[in-house]
Amino acid sequence: MTATNVNGTATERPPVFSVDGLWKVFGPKAGRVPADPELTALTPAELRSRTGCTAAVRDVSFDVRKGEVFVVMGLSGSGKSTLVRCLTRLIEPTAGSIAIDGEDVRAMDKSRLRELRRHRAAMVFQHFGLLPHRTVLDNVAYGLEVQGVGRAERRERAAAVVAKVGLEGLEHRRPGQLSGGQRQRVGLARALAVDPEVLLFDEPFSALDPLIRRDMQEEVVRLHREEGRTMVFITHDLQEALKLGDRIALMRDGRVVQLGTPEEIVGSPADDYVRAFVRDVPREQVLTVRTAMRPAADADEAGTGPAVRPEATVSEAIEAVARAGSAARVMDGGRCLGVVDAGDLLGVVAGTAVPEERPEGAAVLPGEAELPKEAV
Amino acid sequence: MATVTAPAPKAAPGVLTRPAARKLLALAVAAAILVPFAVTQWGGATWPSALTVDVSEPLGRASDWIIDNRDSHPLFLYFFGHVSNVVVLAVRAVYLALLAVGWAGVTAIGALVAWRVAGVRLALGTAVAFLACGLLGMWVPTMQTLALMVVAVLASVVVGALLGLAAGLSDRMDRVLRPVLDTMQVLPAFAYLLPVVLVFGIGVPAAVLATVVYAAPPMARLTALGLRGADKEVLEAVESLGTTARQRLLTARIPLARKELLLGLNQTIMMALSMAVIASVIGAGGLGDRVYQALASVDVGAALAAGIPIVLLAVVLDRVTGAAGEERPGESRRSPLTWLYALAAAAAVAVAGRLAGVLEWPDGWELNIAEPVNRAVDWMTAHLYSGVPVVGGTADWAAHFTDWVLNPLRDGLQWLPWWSVLLIVAALAWLIGTWRTALTAVLAMAAIGVLGVWNPSLDTLSQVLAAVAVTLVIGFATGVAAARSDRVERALRPVLDVFQTMPQFVYLIPVVALFGVGRAPAVAAAVVYALPAVVRITAQGLRQVDPAAMESARSLGATSGQQLRQVQLPLARPALLLAVNQGVVLVLAVVIIGGLVGGGALGYQVVFGLAQGDLATGLVAGAAIVCLGLMLDRVTQPTVRRPRKGA
Ligand SMILES: Nc1ncnc2c1ncn2[C@@H]1O[C@H](COP(=O)(O)OP(=O)(O)OP(=O)(O)O)[C@@H](O)[C@H]1O
Ligand SMILES: [Mg+2]
Repeated sequence: MTATNVNGTATERPPVFSVDGLWKVFGPKAGRVPADPELTALTPAELRSRTGCTAAVRDVSFDVRKGEVFVVMGLSGSGKSTLVRCLTRLIEPTAGSIAIDGEDVRAMDKSRLRELRRHRAAMVFQHFGLLPHRTVLDNVAYGLEVQGVGRAERRERAAAVVAKVGLEGLEHRRPGQLSGGQRQRVGLARALAVDPEVLLFDEPFSALDPLIRRDMQEEVVRLHREEGRTMVFITHDLQEALKLGDRIALMRDGRVVQLGTPEEIVGSPADDYVRAFVRDVPREQVLTVRTAMRPAADADEAGTGPAVRPEATVSEAIEAVARAGSAARVMDGGRCLGVVDAGDLLGVVAGTAVPEERPEGAAVLPGEAELPKEAV
Repeated sequence: MATVTAPAPKAAPGVLTRPAARKLLALAVAAAILVPFAVTQWGGATWPSALTVDVSEPLGRASDWIIDNRDSHPLFLYFFGHVSNVVVLAVRAVYLALLAVGWAGVTAIGALVAWRVAGVRLALGTAVAFLACGLLGMWVPTMQTLALMVVAVLASVVVGALLGLAAGLSDRMDRVLRPVLDTMQVLPAFAYLLPVVLVFGIGVPAAVLATVVYAAPPMARLTALGLRGADKEVLEAVESLGTTARQRLLTARIPLARKELLLGLNQTIMMALSMAVIASVIGAGGLGDRVYQALASVDVGAALAAGIPIVLLAVVLDRVTGAAGEERPGESRRSPLTWLYALAAAAAVAVAGRLAGVLEWPDGWELNIAEPVNRAVDWMTAHLYSGVPVVGGTADWAAHFTDWVLNPLRDGLQWLPWWSVLLIVAALAWLIGTWRTALTAVLAMAAIGVLGVWNPSLDTLSQVLAAVAVTLVIGFATGVAAARSDRVERALRPVLDVFQTMPQFVYLIPVVALFGVGRAPAVAAAVVYALPAVVRITAQGLRQVDPAAMESARSLGATSGQQLRQVQLPLARPALLLAVNQGVVLVLAVVIIGGLVGGGALGYQVVFGLAQGDLATGLVAGAAIVCLGLMLDRVTQPTVRRPRKGA
C-alpha cells in the first residue's frame, strides 16, 4: 500500500522471486506425489493415510515483484513456513521451479546457493534464532563475518544497522539480557546488515506482545518506505497482512486459495473460506472509494462537494462526507471519476455493496457471528 | 480416597496390571515348555557343567602368547609399543615438569587458575588443598597421580570429543556409538583393567589407557548430546545466512554446546581421578598405590594419609571445573589480559620458589597422621569392635550381617535351580522394561553360567542385593525427608555434594577402620557410595511432582501422609525407578572393588588374577562382571534412558 505511489504500480515491475508449480511433500518417497495426478487429487488427510506423506506446499505459483511487500498468510499448518524456506532451499522443494532474478534456484550448486543466502535473501525468524553466546553487535555482524568481511569493517557496518533499528546503547548485551521486542530488532538488524535484495520474514512478530508487535510493524513499514526493499512476509494475523501487504497470498492446506491486493481479498473473497477469514475486518478501512463510487448523476454533483483521492479508504471518505454534509467527489488529478454519498459509503460498511452475490451457503455466516468468541 | 489418586491415573495399579499379567502369562507358558526339558537334561541347582565352555585355557594361551611376543611381534613393536612409549614419556614429562615447578609453583598455578575460572573462594580452597597434600607428606604421590591424570584427561577429552563430534554430526555414528557408550557407563571400573593389562602388561601405560577407556565415554556422550541438542531455529538462522558446514560447526554448534562440553570435561576429570586411583592395582603408582598398599596391610592410618589428598583433589577439581560451566553474569568476560597477569604471577612464584631452593616439600613441615590414626583405630579395635554393652560392636555387627543376611542370601541364590534364576531375571526385566531389555538380561546371566563362574557370580550378586536393599531403604527414607523439609535438604546438600565427588576407592578406608575386612565392609562401602545418588534422585523426583496434582489432593483434604502415598510416590515412579537403577549400578562397582578388602567372589578373582599373573582367571571374572553389570542394569532399566550421575 505504501510503495505503490513511489515507484509506479506494482504490476509493471520485474519479479524478484518467480515461483511456479512448487510442491513440497514430506514423507517416504515424496517425489512420486506431485507427478501422480491421482495422488494430487486427494485431500491432505487421504494423502496421508494412502501414502504416509504430508503435502505442505501444493502446486503454488506466484511472483514477488521488486519493491513490494508480499504477504503469505494462512492458518497454522497451512504451509507458510515451508513455502518461505523453499525459496532459499532451507527446505529442499519436491517439484516445481523457483527463480530469483531469472536465475533457477533449484539448479544452483552449493556455493552458488550460499552466495544467494549470503547476499540476496536474508531471513527473520519467529523465535529470533540469535546466537546466545554473542553480543548484540556480534550477532548483527554475524552475516558479514560469514561472508569474510574484516572485523573492523563489519563492526562498523553492524553498528550502523543497530542504530537504524533503534538499539543504540545495547550493543554489548547478550540476547539473554534483552526483551522479546529487542531481540527481534536484533534479528531484523542481522538480516539488514548483509544488505539483501529480499527480506524474508517468517511470522516475525507472533511471539511478541500486541503493543510491541505494533511498534515492530511500524518499524517494517518505515524501513520499507525508506529503502523500498522487497519483502516476503509470513503471518497468520490478518490485520498484520492488511497493514503491511501490497499483495497477499492466502494459503490453505498448502494451496494458495486467493492472491490479490488487500482490497481484492476483503472486497471480493474468492470462496467461503476467504470470506469467513475476512468477515470481521473493518471493511471501511481497507476498501477504497474507487469501489464504492458511482458515476455522477449530473454536472452539479460532479462540480460540488469535497474531493477525495480514488485510493482513499472508505473511512476517510466518511469523514469528508460527514464534515461537508454532502456527497464527495472522487478526483484523480483534475478529473472527476465519480461520486460517493453517505448511502454508498454505508453500503460498504454494512457489506451490502459487495460486488458479487453471496452464495446460498454463506447465509449461515451471520448466525455464527453471534456465538460468543470462546465458543468458536 | 480414590478421588485423590484421580489426578494420577497412570500410577501403579491400573495400567500396569494388564500388560504385566500378559507378560507374566507369556513367560509362564514359555517356562512350562522349556523348564521340564531343561530339568530332565541338566538337573541340579548350579549351572550344568555340560553347558559351560572352558575359556580359561585358550585365554591362558593367548595371554602367554602375548607375553612371549610382546617384544617381537610387529603389532606390538609398531603399534602398542609406540602407544606405550608415548604414554610413558608424556606422563614422565608432566611429572618432571610438576616437580620442576616445585610445590610453591604448583600451588600458585592451581590457585590462580581456580581464581580465574571460579572465583576467590575456590582459589583459596585449591591452595589449601595442595598445601594439605604436602603437609600429609603426600606431595610426591600427589604429583604422580596428577601427572597421570593430566595425560589421561587430555587423551580422554580428545578421544571423547572426537567420538562425540562424530556421533553428534552423523546419525549413523550415533546409532552405533550410543548403545556402546551407554553400556560402558554402567560397567564397574574393575572390568576394564584386565584387557588392558593383557595387552600392555602391568605399568603406567596400562593404567593410563584403562583410565582413558573409562573416562572418555562421558565426554563423548555429552559432546554428542550438546551438538544434537542445539536450538534448531538458531541453526536454521545460521544456515539461512549462507554459512558453510565448517562455519556452522565452529561458530554455532560448538559454542551452543558449551555447557554440555564443560559438563563432559567435569565428568571426565572425575571419572579419570576415580580410575587413576583404582588403577594402582595395575601399576598406576601415586596416591592410589599408597592406599592400596596400606589397605593390603590393614594400615588405616597410612591409607587415610593418602586418602585425604584424593578427596581434596576430587573436591577441588569438581568445584573448579563445575564452576567453569556456570554462567557468571557480571564478571564472566574479562579480558585475556587478566589471565596473562595471573600466569605471570604464578610463574613468578615458581621462579622464586626455585631460586629459594624450596622445590621439594620441606621435611619439617610434614604432619604424620598415620600414627595417631592407627592408635585411634587400635583403640577402636579394642573398645568398639565387640562387647560394647547393649549395642554390641562394629565387628559384631559385621559378623551378624554376614551370618544373618549375606550368608543366607548367598546360599539361597546358589540353592535356587539355575533355570529359575534365569526366569526371575526375565520376569523382572520384562515387567520393568521391554522384552529387549529382558532378553539382554537373560543372555547376560546365561553367559555367566557358560563362562563357568556361576557360583562366585551369585556370591557377588548376593552382596549386591543386600547392599541395594539397605541403600534403597535408607536412601528412600532420607530422600523423602529431604523432599518434605527444606531444612533437611539444606543440611544434606553439602554432604551429598562431597560424597558424590569422592572416588570409589576411598570409601574402602573408613569401612576397613570400622568393620575390618570381609564381605560386610565391602557391602557397607557400596551402600555409602551409592546412597548420595539415590537420596538425590529420590528427593528431586518427589519435589518435581506436579504442584497442581498436590494442590488438588490437598484441596480434597488429604493428610500429608496420604499425599505422599497416593500422589507423590506414584507420580515420582520414574524417578524412583531411576534411583533403583543408579543404586544397583553404583553398588555393583564398589562391591567388586570390595574384592580388595576381603569381599571375595568376582572382585577377588580379578585381584588374584592380577597379583598371580593368572590373567585367564582374571579375564573370565572380568567378563562375568561385565555380564553381571549388564544384567543388573537391564533388569532395573525403565523404558526411558536416564541422565548420568556426576562421577
Ligand atoms: N519436517 C517435516 N516433516 C513432516 N511434516 C512437516 C515437516 N515440517 C512441516 N511439516 C508439515 O507441513 C505442514 C505445514 O507446516 P508449516 O510449518 O509450513 O506450517 P505453517 O503454516 O508455517 O504453520 P505455523 O503457522 O504453525 O507456523 C504441517 O502439516 C506440518 O505438520
Ligand atoms: Mg510457521
